[in-house]
Amino acid sequence: MFDIILQAGASVLLDPLTLGLMALGTLAGLLAGAIPGFTIAMGVILTLPFTFGMSPIQGLATMMGVFVGGLSGGLMSGMLTGIPGTPSSVATTFDGFPMVRSGKPGLALGLGLWSSFFGGMISAIILVALAPQLAFLGLEFGPWDYFALIVFALTITVSLSGDNMVKGLIAGLLGLFAACVGEDEINGVARFAFGSDHIRQGFAFLPVLIGLFAFSQLLSDVEDNVKAKSPLMAKTADPVRVEHRKAIALVIKNWINLCRSSFIGIFTGILPAAGGSISNILAYDQAKKASKNRSEFGKGAVDGIIAPEAANNATAGGALIMMMALGIPGDIVTAVMLGALMIHNIIPGPSFIQDEPLLAYGVFIAFFAAHFFMVGLQAFSLKLFLLVTRIPMYVLASVILAYCAIGVFALHNITFDIWVMFAFGVIGYFMRKLGFPLAPMILGVVLGKLAELNLARAIGTSDDYFLFITRPWSLFFILMALVSVLFPFYQNASKDTLFSKLFVPISMIVLSFPLFLMQSPVRMIIAAILLLAGSYFVYKRMSTLQAT
Amino acid sequence: MTSNKSDIIIAIFLLCFSGIMINDASNIRDLGFEGMKADAWPRVVLWLLVVMSSVMLGKSYIQLKTEGHKDNNTFQVNFSKFKNAFICFGMFLFFLSTLDYLGMLLGGIAFVFGLLTFLGGFSLNLIIKHLTISVLSIGFMWMVFTFGLRVMLPEGEILRVW
Repeated sequence: MFDIILQAGASVLLDPLTLGLMALGTLAGLLAGAIPGFTIAMGVILTLPFTFGMSPIQGLATMMGVFVGGLSGGLMSGMLTGIPGTPSSVATTFDGFPMVRSGKPGLALGLGLWSSFFGGMISAIILVALAPQLAFLGLEFGPWDYFALIVFALTITVSLSGDNMVKGLIAGLLGLFAACVGEDEINGVARFAFGSDHIRQGFAFLPVLIGLFAFSQLLSDVEDNVKAKSPLMAKTADPVRVEHRKAIALVIKNWINLCRSSFIGIFTGILPAAGGSISNILAYDQAKKASKNRSEFGKGAVDGIIAPEAANNATAGGALIMMMALGIPGDIVTAVMLGALMIHNIIPGPSFIQDEPLLAYGVFIAFFAAHFFMVGLQAFSLKLFLLVTRIPMYVLASVILAYCAIGVFALHNITFDIWVMFAFGVIGYFMRKLGFPLAPMILGVVLGKLAELNLARAIGTSDDYFLFITRPWSLFFILMALVSVLFPFYQNASKDTLFSKLFVPISMIVLSFPLFLMQSPVRMIIAAILLLAGSYFVYKRMSTLQAT
Repeated sequence: MTSNKSDIIIAIFLLCFSGIMINDASNIRDLGFEGMKADAWPRVVLWLLVVMSSVMLGKSYIQLKTEGHKDNNTFQVNFSKFKNAFICFGMFLFFLSTLDYLGMLLGGIAFVFGLLTFLGGFSLNLIIKHLTISVLSIGFMWMVFTFGLRVMLPEGEILRVW
């Protein structure tokens, strides 16, 4: 094991080209994260075409740089101008901006930077420790369990994607349908090709993704004539000197908040679809609740900066755990990385870490290293950011649209891919306008083939359909899917209703059953704890209800 | 926020789309092998789409009935709002249609220049600025992909003849 880690480390850290690409990726990520209207996912998507000519580790290391850089880039614009660069840095502005306005911009940036760094480091350690274990667990999965896991991933994406669950489900189903078009994986029979040889090959993942996400986003960005012609940011910021030493001391002093927020980030990242945009607000909220100086929050509290920044960088580690261990992307960024691996003919799954240990550990090491690049490049990226923000959006959008076309063409060297990108760009644009969330559709496209393949394998192995509910893991994921479907109703229900009071404890009781069926001592202990805690809460809440 | 009327139209469109695709699914060949047929999974997905679209239709219709008086005049598509998006669609369509003739280099420059000018304005200063941006940006990307990444971008008939 140790020699594999050393080899993987050498392939990343001793190769000047990989290091250079990663530095470039981190810089691009810092900029993409800092510019409002650009997201980390967009940065990673636009980087992908450049990685075709690279080795898998170089490509993934570059994208890792963009990912980590993007998560930290959002804090620059959020703190200096009050406009968060990405949704994952929304909560950073709550205290970061007031601290800057109170005359401490260097300290505010330093706190954000070092919280991101330490949050990322904690999640990197958990990633290295947990991903191989989770992958080992994943080896227990049969096709029934895998299919149920994909169903769970899709349902939770839908339930977390917004107010309108029906539209989320429709988006997910449209994604699954798009993945059906072309020759099927099992029999090689053409489906929905309508006589076209190009459609018979199916839609390549990348053009669909760039179209749905990047193309449609760019169109939305230039929609407003006045905004499109104005510089990216109306407010300007002055270059500042980051107070590193003071910031490090403060972050370490508030280590409890740092660790709590990092773990919130990791947990949120592990959940499919729940990314940095959720974790930063959750961590901020928890930090505020735990603080002795709650009144300071919103006025430039140190804890108010540490919590969201540590959480959003830690989310990346959590999302990578799922992707590396089970081949299930946690968010759009990891979905793109999954696509990048597929382009290099590497199929992530439970056996990925065992089959491709050099690549897997290389990714872990790249994740570590990207955080050092992020710290080192922050000052330079701040100067670049101030330059880029003077460019009007319509200039950036026009150039990037052309770049998308070139990048998509580079995938298979066929013009049809650009047509696919255009078609899905139009679809994505109107879906945005009509209130359909795009994340479920993108995950539907990514997971569609995998879902069908596992369903076919399950049916091909046995005609006993009850295996979907008698196998413990499959039952566990189906129950989790049901819980995630009901979750939005729980969120919207009044606190006094029976449903709202009993939803969590009954979910705990129900989820304990498949864990009992797994017949492993550790899982049975977890099941017993869930059952006892759930029963206790049901009893307590029923007693309160009867009393009132 | 979208209006209930537009949701009804979208739901009906999705139902029609699902219907056409379910009908086309009957053309998927059955090779006669054991196990799951090639049309089974798409059918499941499409029928679920029918169910969800029906739910959306019903929900929007009920909401329209209850909130109808507020919603009566909201379904007026403001085309000027989408003007820039339609310009992008049109320019991209033109770029794609002429790709075989102009190639990626000339076509790309024409696309970026056209889009910049339509979105940014037509004054002489801006036109010079847009031309410079389009030549430099596309020229740079073309060089990166052609010489750096060894991708054979479409040359175009014009450059080939020339």
